[in-house]
Amino acid sequence: MAIEIATVPTTHAPAAGATRRRSLAPLAVNLLLIAGLGLMTLASLGTGAVHISPRAIFAAMFWHQPLSETERLILFHLRLPRVLASGVVGSALALSGLLFQGLFRNPIADPYVIGSSGGATLGASLGITFFSQWSAFGFSATALLAFVGSAATMALVYGLARSAGKTNVVTLLLAGFAISTIFTNSSYFFELFDKTGTGNRVLASWLHGVIGIPAWPELAAGTTLLGLATVAALPLMRTLNTLVLGDEYAQQLGIRVEVARVAIILIGSLLTAVAVSLGGVIFFAGLIVPHIARLMMGPDHVRLLPVTALTGAIFLMLADTLARTIFAPSEIPVGVLMAFVGGPFFLYLLRNMKRSYSV
Amino acid sequence: MSSLLRLDDVHFDYQGHRVLRQATFDLEEGSCTALIGTNGVGKTTLLRIAAGALRPATGQVRMRERPMETIPLREIARTIALVPQQLELPFAFTVQQVVEQGRTPYIGMLRGPGRSDRLAVDRALDLADVSSLRHRIFNELSGGERQRVKIALGLAQQPQLLLLDEPTQNLDIGRQVELIDLLHFLRDEGIAILASMHDLHLVDKNFSTVLLLSPKETNQPLISGSPEQILKPSILERAFQCPPDRHPLLIERAELYRKEAR
Repeated sequence: MAIEIATVPTTHAPAAGATRRRSLAPLAVNLLLIAGLGLMTLASLGTGAVHISPRAIFAAMFWHQPLSETERLILFHLRLPRVLASGVVGSALALSGLLFQGLFRNPIADPYVIGSSGGATLGASLGITFFSQWSAFGFSATALLAFVGSAATMALVYGLARSAGKTNVVTLLLAGFAISTIFTNSSYFFELFDKTGTGNRVLASWLHGVIGIPAWPELAAGTTLLGLATVAALPLMRTLNTLVLGDEYAQQLGIRVEVARVAIILIGSLLTAVAVSLGGVIFFAGLIVPHIARLMMGPDHVRLLPVTALTGAIFLMLADTLARTIFAPSEIPVGVLMAFVGGPFFLYLLRNMKRSYSV
Repeated sequence: MSSLLRLDDVHFDYQGHRVLRQATFDLEEGSCTALIGTNGVGKTTLLRIAAGALRPATGQVRMRERPMETIPLREIARTIALVPQQLELPFAFTVQQVVEQGRTPYIGMLRGPGRSDRLAVDRALDLADVSSLRHRIFNELSGGERQRVKIALGLAQQPQLLLLDEPTQNLDIGRQVELIDLLHFLRDEGIAILASMHDLHLVDKNFSTVLLLSPKETNQPLISGSPEQILKPSILERAFQCPPDRHPLLIERAELYRKEAR
């Protein structure tokens, strides 16, 4: 059984002959995205039950016109950590989606579909329920267990999908989906062990994908890990381009496929863990953002890395701002919002793929 | 002439049954060889073993007299390129981006492609006559165009040995002739060729050596020789399990040998 996907959906196919496919100038796109990220941050900071205009924020930063005490409190203790966290979560999910889609040569792979987020969820639930006070090297037990769960699940899914030296992509996706569902749902059993009930509420909201208001050290750890993972992923981007030809072909071109694969899975799992430990279970963000990036830049992973990271941050900041404002004063989990945006998009991709399924 | 690739009593098993038995042959630098045999007899397997993609169950593969398993992957990739039968890409890579992957064994992890890499890609595109397609999406090309792009990808590796798996498949007769011309040009450039060929008509005048893989029943699984020695009706009849009076090729060859005998 083989899957071939004709093309990533694009709006136009080039005419015959030497027409150049338009891909935008990388530098310009990145600069625009950085500017967009800045604007989005300001907009998110200002939006909410109490409106704080960007002008007031600038005035406080540059012209010594201090905000009121309430505004300061809202800005620095409530909104800023949350807005930054949503950016980190968005980048991490988008990058892990990019890595998994490239590695598994499949445009519908993402941390949720592949199962790594299920493992991270299980690990983090363990952490929330049993080890909420424990931490090492500044990382909470929740974050560490999320990483262990994520990496272990990837190893398991990958092992299940591999036979006779080949990875069957359909088996991989189905195994990932099954394991993801089992693990995500098994997290509910931890409620039984939690006598006090405080962990329950944390866990319940977290399973719906709520970006809470993280403590600063937690946010700093997440940001550091995101940075490290991005740097580590950089030299692997060219390898991902080669892996697009298939594992065996890549090996014939001199790539040590097993080594590259382990590295990519570890980095992808780390990114998933960062996202899950800060934002819980958020579907589809890791799936959609790489596609948006490909529409802008084409499929070259070297160019996709920064664009995907920036777009992911903007995307989730926007989603989280919407999630806490559209039904104000009540708030919906961003994970729920993403399910409603991402679900239809996933189905759209699936329909596009269906034509090129070959059995 | 020195030995470029040597297989010595190579066996290979796939999921419990033996696909390849007692494969022994020697490819010299700059030689031009056709690999023929019935469907499923192990031609593709043999090519993959020759490319170092598969390890034989027993027996030894040597590249320039060194055991294949001791040579770094990158070094093999700079010497041997395999053009596969099928290539499917999950994303909308352009022809140029595909062919650039052929430079992988020359490019370090952090250093990007340099001038020599760009020149090699341009030359590969040029040789395979796909320069005009360089900005097209690979997945949108026709079968014949894809075939040439795959060859360009192999040539971008600047190999000493080019292995081709059914290169004339899906090509019309005009494109088949162009492909053969390209193979001859590459041979003249000093690149050794080993191509598995389905269409035996194309083998006779175009290759200097023929390797014939026979199915299990025969006691000589792999024989080699000149086209005149191998493409005899009696040999083909047995190797392909084809009644001699039923296929035009065999009838044709029988007449040819009768004429020569006279």
